[in-house]
Amino acid sequence: MASRKLLLLAPVWLAGWGAFGGVVTQFNLAKDSPVKLLSAEYGESNETARGGALLLDLHAALSFENSSHRRIRGITLLVTAQDVTPGGKGSVTITSLDVAPDQTFPVRIDLRLLRPLQASGNVPVQISLDGILFDDLSFYGPDKLSSRRTLTLSEWEARRDRKYFKSLLAEGPERLRREILASMTHQADRPNVDVQVVRGGRATNFEPEQQMQFAFLRLPDAPVDPVGGMARIAGNEARAPRLEVKNRSDRSIRYLEIGWILRDHNGREFLAGSVPAQLTLAPGQNSQILENTTLKFPQHGGQPLAIEAMTGFVSSVEFADGSVWIPSRADLNGSELQRVIAPSDEEQRLVQIYRKKGIEALVAELNRF
Amino acid sequence: MRHPSDVQLALLAGGDLRSWDGWRVGRHVTQCARCETEVRSLRDVSGRVRELTSELPQDLNWNRLAQEMAGNIRVGLAAGEAIAGFDRPLRSRPARLGLNAAMVLGCATAVFLVAFSVSLPKPQVEHLIGALNRIRTERIGRLAPHSAAAEDVVLEATSSSIEVKENDRAMSLMHPRSDGATVSVNLQGSAGVRFVDADTGQVTTNKVYYGEP
Repeated sequence: MASRKLLLLAPVWLAGWGAFGGVVTQFNLAKDSPVKLLSAEYGESNETARGGALLLDLHAALSFENSSHRRIRGITLLVTAQDVTPGGKGSVTITSLDVAPDQTFPVRIDLRLLRPLQASGNVPVQISLDGILFDDLSFYGPDKLSSRRTLTLSEWEARRDRKYFKSLLAEGPERLRREILASMTHQADRPNVDVQVVRGGRATNFEPEQQMQFAFLRLPDAPVDPVGGMARIAGNEARAPRLEVKNRSDRSIRYLEIGWILRDHNGREFLAGSVPAQLTLAPGQNSQILENTTLKFPQHGGQPLAIEAMTGFVSSVEFADGSVWIPSRADLNGSELQRVIAPSDEEQRLVQIYRKKGIEALVAELNRF
Repeated sequence: MRHPSDVQLALLAGGDLRSWDGWRVGRHVTQCARCETEVRSLRDVSGRVRELTSELPQDLNWNRLAQEMAGNIRVGLAAGEAIAGFDRPLRSRPARLGLNAAMVLGCATAVFLVAFSVSLPKPQVEHLIGALNRIRTERIGRLAPHSAAAEDVVLEATSSSIEVKENDRAMSLMHPRSDGATVSVNLQGSAGVRFVDADTGQVTTNKVYYGEP
């Protein structure tokens, strides 16, 4: 695959690179790529010395054209800066798209790189395509970041929510408006916390560590049943979750995710993260999921967060045949999940349309496809 | 009558006095009300200690606790050595004069530091604090809390950016501050923020990863 890649625009130097100094961007798009890069602008990119470090700000406004014969639903671009973070990488994903053939669409990348002042030479930043999902759920791309699964799950959620909002619209625009307003309220009320992820052991050693059992929220039609689980908790850190799940469907499962809800000492609940598992789970079979990762919830001002209880729920499942399961709207509306989990990409987009353009624009959008 | 020593009584109470000494002291205790009371009291205390220790968490990691205690003791000893020179008494000067001079110097330093920190821009203050921390760390070792080990990669997701950090280098994907920004974390090694771009109306998810996802 790599040998088939063509450096479409390689390298594209930043506008004003001479003054800016340190970044060279390079786009890698394959010859048969279904998108074409039309333009790349770097208006406010700059570099600043901060203490003993150099901050490089890259603001790229890219314009792509759909050169395929299908409508694009989602795209993921992979961003790497090997000289700065050899073990790390970034990605920019746009979902809930509806880009027709020959139509153009923008992608913004706002990247900041921090490196020691003493380090010399330019920083090469590689931008490449990781995947594109089309309206027929076909996929194109190297899929290094599991973009196929991410984009497919997002598309299924989008279809579920469009169908739900269309059913409300059938009852009249006022019913739709009420639900959109309720969604806006949920989004505003939903706690959002900052989080750090550290691979391996504990990040601090202030607090004594204790083992805490998971409580589970069982969704009626979920193909997987969480049987039991525990994690180690120390103050505002949660680590090393261990879960046991059972496949109660009649199909083999190859991937699943368990949502992890934490409750602090003030009774506030928030979605800490998801515990994924790539496995082969035959019908009726049990399996264990282990992760040696630490989540830390730093508090910037205010009282430090102290974790008191945990709840798990099955948030998505991918079967061996590539089909997926996600919670239904009834599962979401009728449980405590609604308070903690974020709305889908599509719901968030529809709410934004209502917020900016009003109910008529939202109705027009729902009637479009 | 010659009574056994406190140490002997304590050993007897704990059942640690063996052979001839054990028989001799035990015999004395059966005949001496005062020593018998003392032994009973010692046994009572050791019983209570046993009860208290049984209330400690079942899953307490003694090895980790021992490492942390050993680490803190080392830091304490190193800090003690570092300040030992300041504690030596001044022989040639009157003690009161030295105390007054120290107070004046201390007050002047405090006033200077307050004025200095108030007038200094925030980035410079942060830089200065960082430099002082580095000096301290190099001289007496790291004190808790330590963030991840130096070689660890850390992902951080906040409502304004997501970042992957490796030692003194970092790569961040920034996004406009937005009420609807949603932070998400995947325990296989990714952190992301989703937001709706106000200009384009597009739903964008920025993510950072460490290692191979």
